[in-house]
Amino acid sequence: MSTFLRRFAIATLAFASAMFAVQPTLAETTLEKILSTKKIRVAIDVANPPFGILDKAGQPDGSDVAVARQLAKDLGAEIEFVQVPSTGRIPALLSGRADVTIASISVTTDRAKAVMYCNPNGALSITIFAAQEVKIKTPADLVGKRVGITRATLEEATVPKMAPEGTKIVWFDDLASTVQALLSGQVDAAAMTSFAEKTVSDSNPSKHLENKLLVTTAFYGPIVRPGDFELRQWINTWLFINKQNGTLAAIYKKYTGVELVPLPTF
Amino acid sequence: MHYAFHFNVVWAHWRDLAQGAWLTIELSSLAMVLGLAVATACVYAKAAGPSPLRWAIAGYIELIRNTPFLVQIFIVYFSLPALGISVGANEAAVAAMVVNFGAYGTEILRAGIESIPRGQVDAARALGLTRLQTFRYVVLFPALKTVYPALASQFILLMLASSVVSAISAVELTAVTNSLQSTTFRSFEFYFVATGIYLAMALGIRAVLGGVYWIRFVRRQGA
Repeated sequence: MSTFLRRFAIATLAFASAMFAVQPTLAETTLEKILSTKKIRVAIDVANPPFGILDKAGQPDGSDVAVARQLAKDLGAEIEFVQVPSTGRIPALLSGRADVTIASISVTTDRAKAVMYCNPNGALSITIFAAQEVKIKTPADLVGKRVGITRATLEEATVPKMAPEGTKIVWFDDLASTVQALLSGQVDAAAMTSFAEKTVSDSNPSKHLENKLLVTTAFYGPIVRPGDFELRQWINTWLFINKQNGTLAAIYKKYTGVELVPLPTF
Repeated sequence: MHYAFHFNVVWAHWRDLAQGAWLTIELSSLAMVLGLAVATACVYAKAAGPSPLRWAIAGYIELIRNTPFLVQIFIVYFSLPALGISVGANEAAVAAMVVNFGAYGTEILRAGIESIPRGQVDAARALGLTRLQTFRYVVLFPALKTVYPALASQFILLMLASSVVSAISAVELTAVTNSLQSTTFRSFEFYFVATGIYLAMALGIRAVLGGVYWIRFVRRQGA
């Protein structure tokens, strides 16, 4: 064979094998990956009572953790908890360290730009609370007061908007620091979910803490990465079934002590 | 895993980042100056002070060097008010940083001071210099020249450790980055830029400290 023909044959063979090797395959969806590996990674926040707490044995517990466990059981997958602080709930999902985040993520349009919400599985309200002596009856009373809020939460998204000019807003990295700041007097008032406030007042009766202002109410739900439509649809189906059979309401009542309000769907 | 980088979100908030970086520089500079003063006082007291004071300073150094900075900051910010001392976030941050630097700085200076030959001190006293003059001209400044690299590194570490004060609500660079990243969900872009800003500040501080060394120790040959 002439040199040219030999080189041409080799080149064609190489090209053909390369083409076969780089066959475009259909990427596996997250749901398929979960079903085939029988493992689901769920991001949770265990410093957020009563949605995520650590029980006496140091194991994750709480209303959203219980929902996650039930969901994984019905999916037939082993659950792997990815514990994150409140600022890490969405980054853990977007970076791929978790397949779904079930950590009382309230539904907001800003978050919806970055993640896909499943239907809500609960409701919460954000209130501002302070010691009895602190006089706060209207938003205008916040002027000149230091109000502690936790980053990456609904209160961070809403309190700066409703607090008038002159309120000193103080940001902390987690709920525990915000609570410590209130208890030690570093802030005059703090904003958090009404459930967290109940936990704090019950553990500190001598401080005489009470709810002063309602900031907002919201529904919260699990979130998945943009594009994981199959997983979102499965979770929505699961939520539909467990809403009808009362499982969601039972879990909610167990951890919050409050009846679950009717949950809307998207 | 597809990720589209959106650095334009970061540049849109450059003013907030600049304010945060400025507070970092302010807190760190103040802590450096005060911390060096505390370290100098401690090393003198440890060398020439009465026995109980020496023990107290040794205890303080061991306590600070063997506990985490974050825990020290929490104690200053959350526990002092329980004792009746009310501190703001920035004041608590500087206080904790000064206390922290004082311990490490004392050890660094002590190493430098121990490298000064005893004969120098004897000669200075023989020449009629007072204790304080001897300490300042014969012991401290030559020691400073010797340990300057270690001290400069400790200063840089102090500036980097200031990122921890975001946990007590001081609105420095890390706090600003955390807040922005949590509202825009662009964690990679923001942390990447924050790293770059810290790097620039550290290199800047190193340049300034190098300039100070040159002005004080090289230009004025000998002392």
